[in-house]
Amino acid sequence: MAVIILSILQLTWPGFLVFFHCKPDFLLVFAVSAVFYLDFKSALMAAVISGLVKDISLPGNLPVNTILFSLWSYLVYRLSQQISTDSHYVRLAIVLIAAFFNNIATGLWVINSGNTIPAGIFIRNLIIPSVYSTILSPLVFKLIKKITA
Amino acid sequence: MFKPSRKTIINLVISVCAVILISNSLSCFKNYAQKSLKPSLSLIGLLKREFGGMIFYHRNMIKAEELDSEVEKLRLNLFELREIYQENIRLNNLLNFKQKSPLRLVSARVIGRAVDSWTSCVIIDKGKKSGIKSGMVVINHRGLIGRIAESSDSTSKILLINDPSQGISSIVQRSRQEGLVSGTLGTNLVMKYLPEDAQIASGDVIVTSELSRVYPKGLLIGRVINVGYEFSGLNRYAVIRPAVDLANIEEVLVIIP
Repeated sequence: MAVIILSILQLTWPGFLVFFHCKPDFLLVFAVSAVFYLDFKSALMAAVISGLVKDISLPGNLPVNTILFSLWSYLVYRLSQQISTDSHYVRLAIVLIAAFFNNIATGLWVINSGNTIPAGIFIRNLIIPSVYSTILSPLVFKLIKKITA
Repeated sequence: MFKPSRKTIINLVISVCAVILISNSLSCFKNYAQKSLKPSLSLIGLLKREFGGMIFYHRNMIKAEELDSEVEKLRLNLFELREIYQENIRLNNLLNFKQKSPLRLVSARVIGRAVDSWTSCVIIDKGKKSGIKSGMVVINHRGLIGRIAESSDSTSKILLINDPSQGISSIVQRSRQEGLVSGTLGTNLVMKYLPEDAQIASGDVIVTSELSRVYPKGLLIGRVINVGYEFSGLNRYAVIRPAVDLANIEEVLVIIP
């Protein structure tokens, strides 16, 4: 249910809230933050579903986001065993790092597919969506909290 | 016979003079009187208004609430009318274009946009049921928008011309210089592989070439806004502002071959 709400929100994100052609990636935030509130199996399932939904909404047949989201979910789970993720700021930092790495991976995938992207736009797409997603991630945290409550 | 006395005539003349004098000076008198009376009249009016307000407070409060809700309703109506007006203009443009165009066109509405920043695509509300298949070209009355990347029964995904995976064989309308237009994920497009002596300048119109297998010949892509040399120095490139505002498209036309 949460994945559907977030995907609709992401697909119909209003134009006046799009900054420099960038919008927040709620599905990624959901995949990462599910680890903070759910057990590992459920969180991994949430990551796979949100990755699949994102791949379905994009043109192309390769499930890049499904693979990446599952990977971030696993890595965040491993990280949460090493450090405490109870602090709100730590969670925000983890979301920021995950979003950043996800954008690097997607950007490199796009370039590797033979497409040319100007350096400025590549850097813009690395930084702005990551920061934007992190800023709006508390909304997703609240949504997961409500679902799990 | 009635014969007025001298006294009567004098009285009559004095009265007439007095009336004339008074009527002449009445305006000055009036002004003075109004000026001096104004503060007291305003004060009385103010007091009357305030007392009236206090006495009829409840009635006024209910009336104000009713008017407030009416204003809100009217504002909403106005907003809806503005939306309808703008939609009407857009649809009129599309309809005019559709009627004039020799191409077979299917109109569709944009219902969703790309979920990430690495792809430039939109989702439309028509699919295979309306005869739309992948590879079909999408335009609007301003120019080229992109092509159908995927289509399901009732929706289709359009890959916009500013997606980096797009490569459109195109020509400069003025000089017939050929080049390849591709997207940058930004607002503008880039025309690549132009020779050093290419006949291209700012303001030139770029249209699709007949060499393109996907796009019909002569579709407007945009205008050149800047020309430069590629990093290697061997070729030139041109920055093109698309004719269509790709960030704000709401209705499109799909060309059915």
